[in-house]
Amino acid sequence: MKSLAQRGNSDFYTGLLLVVVAAVALLYIRTLTVGTVLEMGPGYFPLGLALILLGMGLVMIVKGLTTAGVPVGAVHLRPLFFILLSFAAFGLLVERAGLAISIVVQVGLAHFASRETTWLASVITAVALAIVSSIVFVWLLKIPVSVLP
Amino acid sequence: MIDLFAALGHGFSVAATPINLLFCLIGAVCGTLIGVLPGLGPVATISLLLPATYALDPVGAIIMLAGIYYGAQYGGSTTAILVNIPGESTSVVTAIDGYKMAQQGRAGEALAIAAIGSFIAGCFGTVVIALLGPPLALMTQKFASPDYFSLMVLGLVSAVVLANGSAFRAVSMIFLGLLLGMVGMDINTGEARMTFGLIELSDGINFVALVMGLFGVAEVISNLEGVSTRIVNHSKITSIWPSFKVLRGAWGAVMRGTLLGTLFGILPGGGATIASFSSYALEKRVSKTPERFGNGAIEGVAGPESANNAAAQTSFVPLLTMGIPTSATMALLVGALTLHGIAPGPTIISRQPDLFWGLIASMFIGNAMLVIINLPMIGIWVRLLNVPYRILYLIIVVVCAIGVFSVNNSSFDIYMTVGFTALGYILRKLDAEPAPLLMGFVLGPMVEENFRRSLITSHGDPMVFLQRPISLVLLLLSAALLISIVMPSISKRRNEVFQE
Repeated sequence: MKSLAQRGNSDFYTGLLLVVVAAVALLYIRTLTVGTVLEMGPGYFPLGLALILLGMGLVMIVKGLTTAGVPVGAVHLRPLFFILLSFAAFGLLVERAGLAISIVVQVGLAHFASRETTWLASVITAVALAIVSSIVFVWLLKIPVSVLP
Repeated sequence: MIDLFAALGHGFSVAATPINLLFCLIGAVCGTLIGVLPGLGPVATISLLLPATYALDPVGAIIMLAGIYYGAQYGGSTTAILVNIPGESTSVVTAIDGYKMAQQGRAGEALAIAAIGSFIAGCFGTVVIALLGPPLALMTQKFASPDYFSLMVLGLVSAVVLANGSAFRAVSMIFLGLLLGMVGMDINTGEARMTFGLIELSDGINFVALVMGLFGVAEVISNLEGVSTRIVNHSKITSIWPSFKVLRGAWGAVMRGTLLGTLFGILPGGGATIASFSSYALEKRVSKTPERFGNGAIEGVAGPESANNAAAQTSFVPLLTMGIPTSATMALLVGALTLHGIAPGPTIISRQPDLFWGLIASMFIGNAMLVIINLPMIGIWVRLLNVPYRILYLIIVVVCAIGVFSVNNSSFDIYMTVGFTALGYILRKLDAEPAPLLMGFVLGPMVEENFRRSLITSHGDPMVFLQRPISLVLLLLSAALLISIVMPSISKRRNEVFQE
């Protein structure tokens, strides 16, 4: 048997993703009223969609296991991890520490996402962004968030 | 006819107010900017600027967002010609002959023809919207819910045609999008469903968080994975005014590209990218000297650039008259309209004449602005290419975060963005395009509503979709479109178009 890497594993993983999503959806749809064609409940249409998605996912899993296909693209964890982290940090801080600190922290974390960043340029960018965003978003567009803690 | 002029006149009175002129200008400038910068598409940019439009009135917001979209078609050609990097997918073919021309010292000529062609095509496309809009909307108003349902099916199938790669996978992405669109309140009972008990999800998944994650942030991450190349611009622009001879040579190509693009923009499954590829192929075929193509043929710039602009313009027709988006960008505009409390559909023209005619008038104004922004100021845009991505991406992530937050002023939406970014990243790695997912998500609630209403009126008989003539025709069209993708001979050609 060939290893998964040589087979159509992007089909396999897409299928897997769809099956998982469909399964989670089905789990929640269980709690909804499905109803009949004549009297459709809130669950009727989502149930149909989830079942179709489940079917398509299974087809893709089978296809991925039996035929050679497009391989999964190379995953680079560094940019993915630091960009996601920078967003999570912004979300955690913005209502507690104010906009300016959130921006500086976000830029500080996002800085690590690329190997080409330099500290000087990133610090200048962070400060400039904090000042400009405070003026534009808090002062001009009046989003209800404070600049400083 | 007199009605049309009166309506257009009204449109100009709306579009020409100082504030709307300003929005139009901002849109055109932003569009040019993202068109010039590679790695930042119109979908990501419109989603970035969407939150900033909440404070505006809907007309100004739509004028600005539309300006970004057609402005990007202008800007994309600039980098394609000067540095062989197409800023947008619609300018990929422009780079073939445009860059050759630049190497031969004819950059100014190519840029001028691209701008003139785009302007003519843009204006023509806008006239077509004005002419076709009202009758099409009237026709669509006669649609009953089964017809609407089938129309949505056609819209969704067109998303499959536009997607790169496996059609089966694109269809599965539509269903995933439809399912995500179900999250929130049930339309008939008001019951919360699939909200995982989260109160934040009771109004459904935040559209901006979804788009920003799937398109904006996921795109930034993929860009960071590649090795950045420093762009060196060798070509000097001597004169931007083309000679009479060049103009005469390009004239036919501009006209053909305009007509082709206009048609492709309206058709489901068309769109600006395919229009530009088709136009290039057409020019090569009708040319008496096809060997010049690839070596700096002016027709190879004039045709595709006119076609993509005409298509960008006329793709507003299905959106404004039927409420059906034919591309991811148009799906975004559906979201934008909905956020402003306007239901996209055939009633826009009659109920929101300010919006429809104001938008059309603004397109004329915007196209004129773009010629001025692009030609004399070309040097400024080229210099922008020197802003390194290592600074640009920091700005993008911060603006994204603030943008998502400001929709509901909730941190929850930022966490949602993190989730959708991860999903968008995974989908990219799996070679599954997120655009069909977005289309499904946007159309999901409408599809369900019309499906349920159809079956209630038909007393549960699913044949209703085949019994109504309009619905039948639309379903047959969808089937034909789907078969055409799956058919090996055509799908082979489609792949060639995408790979060229």
